[in-house]
Parts: sequence; C-alpha cells; structure tokens
Amino acid sequence: MELNDANLQTLTEFLRKTLDPDPTVRRPAEKFLESVEGNQNYPLLLLTLLEKSQDNVIRVCAAVTFKNYIKRNWRLVEDEPNKISDADRTAIKANIVNLMLSSPEQIQKQLSDAISIIGREDFPQKWPDLLTEMVTRFRSGDFHIINGVLRTAHSLFKRYRHEFKSNELWSEIKLVLDTFALPLTELFKATIELCQTHATDVNALKVLFSSLTLISKLFYSLNFQDLPEFFEDNMETWMTNFHGLLTLDNKLLQTDDEEEAGLLELLKSQICDNAALYAQKYDEEFQPYLPRFVTAIWNLLVSTGQEVKYDLLVSNAIQFLASVCERPHYKHLFEDQNTLTSICEKVIVPNMEFRSADEEAFEDNSEEYIRRDLEGSDIDTRRRAACDLVRGLCKFFEGPVTAIFSGYVNSMLAEYAKNPGENWKHKDAAIYLVTSLASKAQTQKHGITQANELVNLNEFFVNHILPDLKSPNVNEFPVLKADAIKYVMIFRSQLPKEQLLQAVPLLITHLQAESTVEHTYAAHALERLFTMRGPNNTTLITPAEMAPFTEQLLNNLFKALAVPGSVENEYIMKAIMRSFSLLQEAIVPYIPTLIGQLTHKLLLVSKNPSKPHFNHYLFESLCLSVRITCKANPTTVGSFEEALFPVFTEILQNDVQEFLPYVFQVMSLLLEIHSNSIPPSYMALFPHLLQPVLWERTGNIPPLVRLLQAYLEKGGATIASSAADKIPGLLGVFQKLNASKANDHQGFYLLNSIIEHMPPESITQYRKQIFILLFQRLQSSKTTKFIKSFLVFVNLYCVKYGAIALQEIFDSIQPKMFGMVLEKIIIPEVQKVSGAVEKKICAVGITKILTECPAMMDTEYTKIWTPLLQALIGLFELPEDDSIPDDEHFIDIEDTPGYQTAFSQLAFAGKKEHDPIGDAVGNPKILLAQSLHKLSTAFPGRVPSMLSTSLNAEALQFLQGYLQAASVQLV
Amino acid sequence: MPTKNMTDERLSKFKNKGKDPAKLREKRITECVELRKAHKNESFLKRRNITLSSLPDEEALSPEYKDMVSSDGPPQTEDIVRDVTSGSREAQTRGCQAARKLLSQDRNPPMKEIIDAGLLSNFVSFLLLDDEPSLQFEAAWALTNIASGTSWHTQQVVKHGAVPAFIALLASPLLHISEQAVWAIGNIAGDGSAYRDILIECNVIPALLSRICPDTPVSQVGYLRNLTWTLSNLCRNKNPCPPLPAVMQMLPSLIQLLHLSDKDILSDACWAISYLSDGDNERIDVVVKTGIVPRLVELMSHKELSVMTPALRSIGNIVSGSDVQTQTAIDAGVLNILPQLMRHPKASVQKEAAWALSNIAAGPCKQIQQVITCGLLPPLVEQLRNGDFKTQREAVWAVTNFTSGGTVEQVVSLVQSGALEAIINLLQVKDAKVILVILDAINNMFMAAEKLGETEKLSLLVEELGGLDRIEMLQNHDNDLVYQAAHNLIEKYFGDEIEGVKGAATDAFVFHGTDVQGAFEF
Repeated sequence: MELNDANLQTLTEFLRKTLDPDPTVRRPAEKFLESVEGNQNYPLLLLTLLEKSQDNVIRVCAAVTFKNYIKRNWRLVEDEPNKISDADRTAIKANIVNLMLSSPEQIQKQLSDAISIIGREDFPQKWPDLLTEMVTRFRSGDFHIINGVLRTAHSLFKRYRHEFKSNELWSEIKLVLDTFALPLTELFKATIELCQTHATDVNALKVLFSSLTLISKLFYSLNFQDLPEFFEDNMETWMTNFHGLLTLDNKLLQTDDEEEAGLLELLKSQICDNAALYAQKYDEEFQPYLPRFVTAIWNLLVSTGQEVKYDLLVSNAIQFLASVCERPHYKHLFEDQNTLTSICEKVIVPNMEFRSADEEAFEDNSEEYIRRDLEGSDIDTRRRAACDLVRGLCKFFEGPVTAIFSGYVNSMLAEYAKNPGENWKHKDAAIYLVTSLASKAQTQKHGITQANELVNLNEFFVNHILPDLKSPNVNEFPVLKADAIKYVMIFRSQLPKEQLLQAVPLLITHLQAESTVEHTYAAHALERLFTMRGPNNTTLITPAEMAPFTEQLLNNLFKALAVPGSVENEYIMKAIMRSFSLLQEAIVPYIPTLIGQLTHKLLLVSKNPSKPHFNHYLFESLCLSVRITCKANPTTVGSFEEALFPVFTEILQNDVQEFLPYVFQVMSLLLEIHSNSIPPSYMALFPHLLQPVLWERTGNIPPLVRLLQAYLEKGGATIASSAADKIPGLLGVFQKLNASKANDHQGFYLLNSIIEHMPPESITQYRKQIFILLFQRLQSSKTTKFIKSFLVFVNLYCVKYGAIALQEIFDSIQPKMFGMVLEKIIIPEVQKVSGAVEKKICAVGITKILTECPAMMDTEYTKIWTPLLQALIGLFELPEDDSIPDDEHFIDIEDTPGYQTAFSQLAFAGKKEHDPIGDAVGNPKILLAQSLHKLSTAFPGRVPSMLSTSLNAEALQFLQGYLQAASVQLV
Repeated sequence: MPTKNMTDERLSKFKNKGKDPAKLREKRITECVELRKAHKNESFLKRRNITLSSLPDEEALSPEYKDMVSSDGPPQTEDIVRDVTSGSREAQTRGCQAARKLLSQDRNPPMKEIIDAGLLSNFVSFLLLDDEPSLQFEAAWALTNIASGTSWHTQQVVKHGAVPAFIALLASPLLHISEQAVWAIGNIAGDGSAYRDILIECNVIPALLSRICPDTPVSQVGYLRNLTWTLSNLCRNKNPCPPLPAVMQMLPSLIQLLHLSDKDILSDACWAISYLSDGDNERIDVVVKTGIVPRLVELMSHKELSVMTPALRSIGNIVSGSDVQTQTAIDAGVLNILPQLMRHPKASVQKEAAWALSNIAAGPCKQIQQVITCGLLPPLVEQLRNGDFKTQREAVWAVTNFTSGGTVEQVVSLVQSGALEAIINLLQVKDAKVILVILDAINNMFMAAEKLGETEKLSLLVEELGGLDRIEMLQNHDNDLVYQAAHNLIEKYFGDEIEGVKGAATDAFVFHGTDVQGAFEF
C-alpha cells in the first residue's frame, strides 16, 4: 500500500463504513480492513488520517483502529511471522510521541494507550529514546502536552506496582529513574509554584491539579518496588510538598457534585496512598516525616464532609491511620487521652453514622444494602474503614478506647431515648459502634467468635436490643429492627441459649415486616440459629423447643416469600430449607400444603431462572419434603410424583438448562424410594434421558448417570423386556463417557449397574464389544483413574458371571489376553484401588480368579497364580498406593472415582452407599481362606507347593492368619 | 498451587524446593540490580585519609599539616609540577608533599588535575627509591589518595605500574612506608575483581602475609588493622570470585586474625570471611573446613556492631549452604544466638537474622525441630507482626520454608504460635512477591490440616482472622500469579462453586463396536 491520496481516500471510506449501525455495511468493512492490515504502510496511513483528516469523526475512528491494530499485532510471537514490517515499526516509533502530544484529548488517549502497548514490548531496549523524548516535553510549559506525557508514563510504569522483582524489571526501573526522576521532581516543584501563581484561575488550576495527581501516581509506581536512591535523597522535597498539598484547600476546586470525586479528592487520596506506601515499606527513612502526615491526615478527616464523593479519600485516609497506629513505635502518637478521644469523636463516630445514601439503599436497593452490610462487600466503605481503625486502636488501647466509646454509646442512646422518632439514627450508630468494638473475630458460620471482654454484650442485648425486637409494631423504625436482628445473628455464639430462645419467636414475628431488609435479616438470623451446634453434636435449638412455633414459622416464611421484592429471596428460601431439616417429622402435617406452594414457586422461577442460590435452596427444600415424608410413609412417594412431574415435564420440555441437574437428582431420589419396580411414568421418560444433547452438558452427567443407575436398579428386567431397543443407546452413553478422561468413571458407574442389574442374556451380544472398547482405551490413554475403575469393573464382572466367563471372553478377543491383563494391569495396579466397597469387589473377584478358574491351574497362567495371590494379600494388608505417574499430574481429574457416584450437589438428595456384594461375603479374607481350602482339596499338594516356592514370607504369614481364622487347612 | 509457578530465582535457591540440590538455599545475589543506596554499615571499598598508625612523627606528616593554611595559601599545581619534575630530590620531596596535601583535602581533592599534569609516572618512579624514604613515602601517599578515588582514578594509578612497585614496598624496613603500601594495595584491590586478580597474580598475598607476626606488639596493632582491611578487600567482589588457591593462602592468616581481640581487626576479618562464604556450596565448604564456624557464632554476640554484623553475615551465608554446612552452624549454637539478634534494636540486624533463620527453616525437619526447640518461633512471630518491612519479608520466607519442609506437628506449632495470624495481616503489604509467598504458606498449612482432617477448622480460623476477606480481595490483584493462588485457595478451601454448562450435540447415541486393529499390548 502506497502512502498516497487514493489509498487515504479508500481507507477513509471503509473507516466510515465501520461506524455504520447496519451490520451488513459494517461487517464487510471491518473484514476488509482486517484483510489489508498486513500490508506495509497500513499503520502509517492510519496515523496520517488521524492527524490530517478534515473529518473529526474519521480522525477519532482512525485513532481507535490504530490502537486496536497495535494491540493485535505489535507483539512478536515466537515461531510466528512478524505482522508489522520493520520499516513501519521504526516510523511509528519515530512519530507517535509527537503525534500523541499534539493531538486533541480524545485522540491523545488512544495514542497514549498505543504507546504503552508498544512500550511494553519495546521499551527500553528497542525504544531507547522514548523517555528522553518525553522528558524534553516537560520543558514545553504546555500542560496539555505535559499531561499527555505524564499519562503515557503512568501507563508505562504502573506495572511496577504488581510485578515481581527481577533483574530485568529493576534494570528498567533504574534506567527510568536515571532519565525521569529528576525532571519529574523539577516538574513537581514547578507545578506547585504555578498553582500558587494561578491560585485564582480555576481553569489553569484544574489542569495543574490533574498534573499533580498524575505526578503523584508516577511517584507511587516508581517507589513501589524499593526506595530508589534518588527519592531517598529528595525525600524532603517530595514529602514537604505532599504534606503541603494534603493541607491545602482551594474553594475554586471544590465541586458541587455529591457523588463524583473532584480533583482535590483524587490528589489527596493518591497522596494518602503514597504516605501509606512509605510508612509500610520504608519506615526507617520515612520516620521523620510520619508524625506530620498523621496529623495532616487526621485533620483532613476531621474537616471532610459526609458526601459520597469523599468516600475513597476518607477510607484511604482512615486506612492509613489504622495501619500506623498498630505499629509499636508509633504508639506514642496516639496514646494521649485527648488524641484518642478526638480520633474517636471526630474520625470514627462520624464515619459510622447512617447516611442518607445508606437510608436510600435500605429502602430502595435492599439487595445492595444486604450485600454490603451482611456479606462484607463493604471493603471500601467508610464504616468498614472506621471499624478497622477501631480494631487497630484496640491493639494497644483497648481499655481507653472502650471507655471513650462507652461514654459515646451512652450519650447516643440517651439522645435516642429523648426523642426516638427524631433521633433513631443515634441508636443505629450506637449499635454499630458496640458491634465494631466488641467483635474481634468473625465467621459466616458462627458469627462473632471472639469478643472484647470489656463490652457487656448480654446486658446490651437485654437493655437495648430486646426492647426493639419486642416492639409490637414491626414496621416502625425498620433500620433499628434490622440492627437488632443483626445483633442477635452476629453475636449468636456469645449470647446464652435462653436469650436466643427468647429471640426466636420475636424473629418469627419480624418475618412479617414490610421492609425487605428487615424480614430478610429475620430469616437469615433464624437460619443461622438453626445451624448452631449444641452438646452431643445435635442442634442447639431442638425440634421440641420449636414445637410451639412450628406453624407460625412455616406460615411466616412462606408469606414473606410473597412480599414483592422477596419473591426470589435466597435468605428466606434457605431458612425454609433449614427449618425443614431441623423440624423433620414435625413438618409432615404441613407438607401437603407446602408442597403445592413449593411447586408453584418452581413453576414460576423456571420461566426465567435468575437467582441460582434461591433455586438451589428451593430444590433442597423439595428433597427434604420428599425424604422426611417418605421416611415415615414410603407410599406417599406417588403423591409427590403427581405434584412434581407436571412441572418437571415442563422443565424438560423447555430445556431449562439450569434446572436439569436438579430435576434428575430429585427424580433419582423419588425412584430410589420405590421398591423393586419401575412405574410406567418413568419408563415413558427413559428414551428422553438418552438424548445426546443432555449429555453434552457436563453438569448433567453425574445426576443423569445416577438417574440411569436408579432405572437399572429398579427396572433392569423391565428395560430388557420392554425397551430392549434402547440398550444400544444406553451403551452408547457408556461409550461416550468412556472416551472422556474427565468422565470415564461415570461411564464405569453405568457399566457396573448394567452388569449388576440387567438380565445377563439381554447384554450377551454386546459384552465382547464392551471389553474391546475398554482395552482400546487402556491401550491408547490409560490414566490412574481409568485403571482403578477398570479393575473394579473387571472384578465385578467376575463376581457376577464367574471367573471362567471372564477368562474366556478375554482370551476370545486375543489369545493369552487374560494373562496379559492379570500380569500387566491387575497385579501391579490393584494396590491403587480405593474405597471399602471397591476393595471388597476386587478381593472377591480375584479370589474367584485364583480358585474357580481351571485355566489358572494348568496352562501357562500358573506362573502368575502366586503373584496374583500376593497382590491380593497386599490389597488386604498394605496401605493404599496413591502415587500418580509424573505426566498425569497435569490432567484435570474431576474427582477420585468411587463405586458410588460422587456427585451430590443437592445435599438433601444424597444416596445411600450401595454394596453389590452385600452380606453374601462378610469377610473377604475368610472367603479367600475357604476358597483356597476348596481348591487345595481339588488339587491335593498343588497349592502348598505353589505357596512355598514363590510367595514371600510376610504374605505367607498373613495368609496363615486367614486360614487360622477360617479354621481351615491347605492340603 | 503457587509453588510450582514460582520461577523466582530465590525460591529455587532454597534447599528442598528446586530440583538442583546445589541451588537449594538462597544465596545473596550481589550482582542484583539495586535501586537503593548502598549499604551503610558495610566496610568501605576504598579509604582515603586514614591515619597511619606507624608514622614516626605523626604531627609532622598528618594530612591536616599545619602549613596547609599557612600564609602562602594552598600550593598550586604548576609549582608542584615544577618541583616534581626538577632534578632535585629536595624539590621532588617538596612537590610530592604538596601534592599529597592537596589530595588529602576533604572536599574535591584535585585528583584529575594531578593525573592530567602527568605526575603519576614520576610518583611511581619515586616508589623505587629505597634510599629516599621521605620522597618514597610522600609519593606513596599521593598515589594512595588517588587510588582511593573512582575506578577511573584507580585505573590511572595501576596503568602507571604502581602495582609491582607497591608490592615491593611492602617489604620496606620502615613500618610507615610498608603501611602506606598496604593501604594503597587495599584501595586498588577494592576497585573490583579485575585489579584484585592482577594483585594476586603479582604475588601480593605472600608479601602481605609475611608482614603478619604471630605476636604483634601493641604498638603495631594499627598496622595490622590496615593489613586486615587490605586482606578483606582481596577476598571481596564476585564475577569472578577470588581464585581458590589465593583463598586457601589467605584463610589460615584470617583465622589467626579472627582470634585476636581488637575490634577493628575482628570486623575486617569477619567481613573477609563473609565475602569468602558468599558463593556456592564449594566456597562455603572451604570456609567451614577451617573450623572457624564456632568462633564466628561466638562473634555474633560481640558487643560491637561492627564485628557482630559481618559475623552474622558470614553465618547467614553458611546456612544458605547444604544441610551439612548448616548443621555445623547449628552445632556451634547459632540458634541460641539468633533469638537475641532477631530482637536487636537495629532493623538491619533483625533483617539479617531473619534471613539466616529463613534459610535454616528451609532445611530438613530435624533442623526445623531445632528451630522450634531453641525458641525461635516467638521472635519470628514478633518480627512478622512488628518488624520493619525488610525483616517481615525475610520472616515470611522463613514461614513458607518452614511450612513446606516441616512435619504436620511442626506446622501446627507454627500456626499455634501466632504465625498464621501474623502472615494474614501481612497480606495487605504492597509487594506482590511477599503476598504470593504468604499464600503459598497458607496453602502449605492447609495441606498439613488435610493430613489431620482439620481443613474445615483451619478455614474457619483463617476466616476469623480476617484472612478470607483478604484472600477474596486478592482475587482482584493485577498480578496473575497472585490472583491464581488466591483463587485456588478460595476454590479449594472456601468454595461452593456451581458447575458450568457448554456444548452441542447430535441426534441419538448408538453403541457401535469397533474392530480390533492390531493386537493389544499394555
């Protein structure tokens, strides 16, 4: 592509088309540009356009296109062709800085980004003059240009804040420092002077302050890895000026906006960060300056308002104080009683107040409010920072701080008492203060686990929390009600049981509150109380203690779910689940009503599943209803099926993907309750379960396998008789799973169930093919997981069909195959099998091979008889071999296979462990002894001689133990 | 988990971490690019204006010779050139003296002027005049002062053939002249490994060692101090390290010096050992084999900071060696002294002690047990809590090394000593590497908990200590490895993830058997 007018014209046209809203115009244009971008001069054409085009839209478009082009193509990837010619690279680097600096802001930003992308690859080695070129612009005196340089430098240097130390990185930083640090310092000083000379010119000030903010950010990046010699030598200049800027105020720079932080706030915020960096990492050198910064930052806090725009500044500033006050050698800066009082009074308390923004969120954005207040996503909030400061101060001054705050709490409560309607926020702050003061350690599971001993939590509960909970009007002062409920919730581990029991019915009442936050908190508090453990590992609150409130609890929970704003409230649904689980058979009388409400809910949410947690707990609650009811009376399973199947059918028909794994689990649970027959309603569904589309989704596989296992267990014969044409489909599922390293164990679960439950003749024709598939997988890509599952399957087959059948089918595939599998797979690997049931299957299977397979006694297989016996004794006696070959370490292994499907996403749909051998074999060691005895009587003299020639002494000793225990002898 | 991702040199240099057993512990990487000011408490590379101990008449020859400010004003270069190049010994002596006085000025000595005036060859030639001791001495002094300048200045001195001349001068019967030569050689050796090796090739070592008398009279202690300093400079610098034969030559004398009681001699002898032990395990072995380790450990509690610092540094280097080398330091009682050094008022000492501890903690569990038994955990946790950042950084490494090599019981006692709480607090430090190392330690602790079946208990403890919040925040960290490590911890020990969904499919499954192609062979 030549650099000529015609090409510029063409490019202009295509660029314009890429802005067209019509995709049939836009797409081809984008395609065209991509197809020509490999040509030499393409980037230079773009640069020409963004500089010279008459049309501003085209200039910006060219700039954006250029940046994206650089982003895609600049990096040189090994073994891939260079996508930008060297001539273009050189030309771009020669011009881009100038171009960037002389462009209007919109284009400048794009080019600045492009420079940092190029810089990331080429700087410093392949672009040695970049910095010098930039630095010379500092002297231009034009702050549009200077800010362009600073912004670019910031994007080049900010990675110093998060990259690991390396010689390469530090050499780069050293180079940057050598060229950049001094000019930056000079610029810093000059800019501050200019701020003074232009103190009344608001436009000039704005530009200058954004320079100062950028300079402060650069300071942070350049000082992040270690304290550079230059900055240590010039600390006085920087820190004095930073300090000056922190204390500076200029009415002209104050903004009217309440939300968005202004230039002053951004600058001061960054300076707080810089001071915090020095205080944390370069304490020794920074020590002389630190007290000044503490005072300045603290004064800043005292004089900063409550508006949201100050939030970042305030929380940064408080975090600075919090980190300093914990350090032993700065203790003296805080220990004076007046200082402490002043910090508490003027910094902490004001930032704990309930602000109008909080009030708005409480009423109108309850979800956000709850997330912040309950789930701790309040990391950057003022309240959180204030709490951290309280905690920091308590490290050395717990007594005095507690005393100061107690005074505060009392006076705030007194204010409240004078006029609750007017002063309720005072009480809110008092409760918050008590909470932050008292809590030393907290978990979601247990609430506050360690409390400040100087705070009497119980007394506060009785005097100030209980009255709010008891107040007859649940809708009055909802914020205080929510505070009171939260108090119970978080201090649950600290309050005596009788107080909690007193609170339970009150919390149930609060479920009726109109305020979403309030009834959500009530539900959450109840749910948490119900999970508390009492003595003997039972729940702290017993079903008997709940008996008087059961009906009201269930009623109110379900009523709360009907309140607009809470129709998919996960806290309430979780409380329902937890209540069911706690109350157990006490809920049975209510289930007929409740199941209707739950299925109704399910129908509604299945139209548009949006709250995963809510849905999860909904299904858990359904499972609990089924389990608890059917445990008392299994025949009721039919009525559940009647209620649930219509909804399930709809979910399956509409392919509501999120719900399918749940539906399969609930269906498995239901089907497993049936005694040895399969209702026609299930059989009707059977073909649908074999649809490949269902098996493409990984989340479906475990529950579907479990469901198919339930089908096989309850209806193996039915499938063989009435759905024999589906058997290939069933085995097709196995075949698909078998091909996947992640899911092959699921395929074995299915195969095991087929072997165990299908009438043997129904699968005779497929057996050989099944083994061929397994052998192929074994040959091509065996993993430890696969081998473990394979061993279990082979032995189960042997147990079910007999050792002779096993040997015959192996040897029919390939001569001597049986011996090879024994020698290469079973003997060396059986030690790896894990799980009691799995080990038992292998033990019984191997015993049969040893003692019921004539080929083992009289062909060339005899030589592996003793090694096999030894491996079996090893399986009994040696610890499990959990070693994994090196190269397998990196394979994604979902979970270790057990004979049981391990998938239990729904905790309450859990399945009992199944032992296919069961009581038929009590002790496999005894079985081995008896079987060997039998074998030895059939071949007198053979067994003892095989043992004495090659079984090792230790194994022999174990074996004699088994023989003794079984009271048999070998002959 | 983090460990396998860490490509940092440091990690592979702890023992029991990387695969190369030679690189297991952390070496002090002196070639490292530094952003900071050079260490303040290390001995100087070059010295100017030290007072000679052996001056016959100290006043007459002291650098601040009274006629410096005499009525004539400072001497002029052209006068010096005239005197030095004149044929008169007297004038030459006067000129040399004037030059060395100028060069002894505290501020901006005119080194370049003197060099540019072409006087160095004259000075060097004067060194050979054994029958003119004053001239010899003044010339030696002037050259010494120039050699104390920058590398370029030193280079000029060497270029003019001063090395053999000074070595010859060592044998001077006049002690103060010999001492001046010692000093000049020290400055040249301190310039870097190239000149150091030139000196060694010129057989400086035997010449120096022959001047050490077994029982130096008190009057000559000063001479011995300078000599020790010069020796230490001959041990100094890497890339390459001093040649092994030279090291072997010097070691016996250094060991001898280490048993004296003069603090300056001890200090420089310790620095010499610290340079010699700062290298691979083979170098460390040479030092350890001399049997000096117990004496070094003893000197770690010397009351003088200038002795204790290099002794600690030497032992720190030795415990960065193999398990066996480390064990000699442990047997010598290093673990009994480290607690007090970890609590030393000076932060640089704390840091150095923590570094040594981190390397001992990288050892086998038997050595880790000795760390516990000797009461190192409380000071370690104190440093994690309240130390300055550099010490905290070393202490964090100590914790991570401890948790990766320790037994389950040892890790439990570490957690119980408060280390978990302390490292969780440190998750807010502004250093990506330290954060990653902490996450690795936490992961190691979870692996120990797994073995005890107590992961849930540990999860709760981490949450109670505020760790969960911090680790969750780190999932937003800009450093990918930090993000990954945090994410892995959350997933593994705090997570309740719901599985994703993907894919598309065909119409129906059919079980199609395949033909056997070729024979099976497992």
